Amino acid sequence: MKILALMKYSLDVAEIKVDQTTKELRMSGVPEKIGNIDKNVVEAAVRLKDETGSSLQGLTLGPQAARESFKDVLAMGLDEVYLVDDPFAGASDARIAVHILEAAIRKLGPFDLILCGFASDDGYTYQVAPRLAERLDLPLVSYARRISLSDGQLQADRDLEDSLQTVAVSLPALVSIAEEAFPPRRTTLMDALKAKKKPVNIWQVEADLGLSQADLEQLSGFESSSQIGVIVHRKQIMFKAGTPVELADQMIDALLQENVVKGAA
Amino acid sequence: MSSNTILVFCEKPTLFQELLSEARRHAASIGWTVAAVGLGKDVSALVELGADVVYQGDVDDRNPEMVTSALLAAAAQAQPSVFLVGATKLGMEVAPRLAERLGTGYAAWVVGFEVDPGLETTTAKCMLYTGTGVATYRFKPGAAILTVAPGVFEASPDPGKTANVVVLDVSAAPPKMTVLEYKPKPASGARLEEARLVVDVGQGVKVREDLQMIQALADLLDGQLGCSRPIASDRDWFPEWLGLSGAKIKPELCLTVGVSGAIQHIVGIRDSRLIAAVNTDEGAAIFSQADYGVVADLYEFLPALMDRIKARGIRPAWMP
Repeated sequence: MKILALMKYSLDVAEIKVDQTTKELRMSGVPEKIGNIDKNVVEAAVRLKDETGSSLQGLTLGPQAARESFKDVLAMGLDEVYLVDDPFAGASDARIAVHILEAAIRKLGPFDLILCGFASDDGYTYQVAPRLAERLDLPLVSYARRISLSDGQLQADRDLEDSLQTVAVSLPALVSIAEEAFPPRRTTLMDALKAKKKPVNIWQVEADLGLSQADLEQLSGFESSSQIGVIVHRKQIMFKAGTPVELADQMIDALLQENVVKGAA
Repeated sequence: MSSNTILVFCEKPTLFQELLSEARRHAASIGWTVAAVGLGKDVSALVELGADVVYQGDVDDRNPEMVTSALLAAAAQAQPSVFLVGATKLGMEVAPRLAERLGTGYAAWVVGFEVDPGLETTTAKCMLYTGTGVATYRFKPGAAILTVAPGVFEASPDPGKTANVVVLDVSAAPPKMTVLEYKPKPASGARLEEARLVVDVGQGVKVREDLQMIQALADLLDGQLGCSRPIASDRDWFPEWLGLSGAKIKPELCLTVGVSGAIQHIVGIRDSRLIAAVNTDEGAAIFSQADYGVVADLYEFLPALMDRIKARGIRPAWMP
């Protein structure tokens, strides 16, 4: 069997700051890493690899700088990683990203099973899995929590708002992993040493996938786009000195002043 | 091609009404039509809600492939310029599928949109980076698919209009995914969205038994308990959580206890009039999102707070 894990080198969105006067988003210096959701994807994939004796490749679309962050996922158990150098630096319509991923998957594949996150840590728009299912004409099990394989069939629990849905599909299939469904394993020094010998392959969209950047740009659904930051209007008054009773009284005084509570001042 | 129609789909009734109301506000100002998609054998509940037309697709709404087929059939009939879809887990799967099938532009987590009928373009404002920013997308001329989260638009009263029902011919291939079993999750009794005070439990709360103390505090203040996602999804202490992927609240006061303040969680509580936070870590992200922050061990602070509330006769402002 051949398994593919899709990953995203994601921004740590908690570290994106907003300029209080211009409302600009300060994107420089925001740390990036393989997303938390994506590490759950790798964990799910490694478990299935171990159960079935499959090969397991990783694929990502991102900047060449992502290379450094592959050490962890290779140590977790990926055989090798393919990085498609993103000509749009993450700024494009998801439709374009999925076209590029599709081309890479067709070149690397065919795969029996493709796993990805239900969303990315940063963009969080849930688009890659359903778009890819349409483009590759594969069954999609979205928001999966438990996955089992037998006789070319995959069963999984879909974690929905108000229900758990147990479903079955025939392979080949695409599965999107729910949040925290497969907490990533701890890796050992031995894993890290083995990972150093595993290949990281870098592909260019035009040279390796035969896609034209100009054609890809045409796929965007948007004529233009812009972005601004959201300014948080909170008082940020801190109480940190005093005994618990003194802190409690300070908090109560504040809530009295805000007219949330009433009683003895 | 466009028939000057806004098409609306959501399988959740409350969100459906919010989307339909917003669609009607836009349609009224530019003289357009509002159509809705209803799934299943009985769509009578949708007929009186203010749409001009209800397209009925008799498919199982538990299978996203079947829902996609029904929505494609509805879009083929209605030829919408704007297609509003509820940002539920189902909606967030079927909207990108539709965008691929139709080759149409799609934007997720929309918080507002404008239609320019002359230029046949739509401009949408969307939540960006889970709420740190707002992106504005100007679509290419033609149709636009937009997903909208609960609570973004306001439901307006039912206008007393009766829609025409058009039954769709959904000729779909058999779905690739088979639903074997469907287990409803326990429904939460509390209606967090309507609570005036919420005590929001985070991972700083160590064991489930501690909830008794926190519940006692909430009871003193006529509040309800909410929590962050790991508390519900990993520890299973509550059936639902507050956050981007969960419930969104707007109480008078949200008091967070042991919440670190991940942006995905903040999205669920940021419409609170006041946010107060208790955390041992002065550097916790929650403090930059709070009006009042207490740097303290919640196991020392909360008992003291309850004692002082009782001693000072403190009660919520809305209680007699």
